[in-house]
Amino acid sequence: MIDDTAPAGAATLEPWEVFRQEKEGDPMRHGGSVLAPDAELAVHYARELFGRRQESVRLWVVRRSDVHDLADQDLLQPPLDRSFKKPGGYLMRDKLAAARAVSGQAKPRARSG
Amino acid sequence: MTTTQATHALVADRLTRDALAELLLALADDEFVIGFSDSEWTGIAPLLEEDVAMSSLAQDELGHAAALYGLLGELIDRDPDAIAYDREPDAYRHCRLLDHGRGDWAMTIARRYLYDTADAVRLEALVGGSWAPLAELVGKIVREERYHVMHAGAWLERLASVEGEPRDRLLAAWDALGPDAGTVFSPLVGETTLQGAGIVAATSGELEDRWRARIAPTLVRLRLPILPPTARPERGRLEHGEAFRSLWGGFTSVRRSDPGATW
Repeated sequence: MIDDTAPAGAATLEPWEVFRQEKEGDPMRHGGSVLAPDAELAVHYARELFGRRQESVRLWVVRRSDVHDLADQDLLQPPLDRSFKKPGGYLMRDKLAAARAVSGQAKPRARSG
Repeated sequence: MTTTQATHALVADRLTRDALAELLLALADDEFVIGFSDSEWTGIAPLLEEDVAMSSLAQDELGHAAALYGLLGELIDRDPDAIAYDREPDAYRHCRLLDHGRGDWAMTIARRYLYDTADAVRLEALVGGSWAPLAELVGKIVREERYHVMHAGAWLERLASVEGEPRDRLLAAWDALGPDAGTVFSPLVGETTLQGAGIVAATSGELEDRWRARIAPTLVRLRLPILPPTARPERGRLEHGEAFRSLWGGFTSVRRSDPGATW
């Protein structure tokens, strides 16, 4: 896709990340990427690759170089025990069961969809 | 069958029906020919993304052609596939602009820009028409064609703005297409009948003027030559040349290989 022999003056292609929303109210999810020389054509190509079959109601197109990347494992996956930062560190289950017994309410069913 | 009867009933008058058939054939043939011709870029467009885009545009046009041939088929009680494929090259009614093959990328973009902008003006005059089946279909087609004009405009701008090979190739294509660009508006047999019946809102001449006025600011901004007057407008949808004969040979070859076969 990237032509190294492109004539002088030709715009260079760069990657753009495409996020798509499947239906109103859904979160934007990463769909993939396209190569394009500028924002206008990037939006065109995003539309063709992620929207032409009516599979999206909205697209966000972001220049990849504008994305601030964080993949430092020291920051994201610290080596020490951090289990006390997780809600699992608090044993809520028994307390909730006791509260339900007092109020007479049944345990709510898992939400569908 | 209900649709067929309803369609006939709406156009009981023979003159109007013939004129409407001419219009539908011209519209359908235009979409069919540019769609088929642009589909030749599949696999060889300048970049993968553009390959998908151009192929998708070509498919849109073939979809519009199929719907228009469908309407015509109901109107004259004929199989839409037979209308699309079983005619001799000279019986096609697409405009001469589309007899220019896809050429290089600049030629394809110039042809698309001229055709899409003209088509938009033509469709606007049909969208509020009195024959509901066509007015409804055009209402849907217009929504897809909006993107086609955006796409062609974006590329025209890029080719025109980069000095050297891109602009030179575009200017060569522009010169070749110029005298034929206005043939999208070549007068149709019976167009006064259609206007009288409220099926089209303006004459071909009025639409052509409107189109030239609409694209003029873009041409000035991009320093593209103003288009010359249309050459032989009365023959604009007749006498297709050798390039079309070859295209026709391609798109009818499978159908002709086994006439009457069910696919």
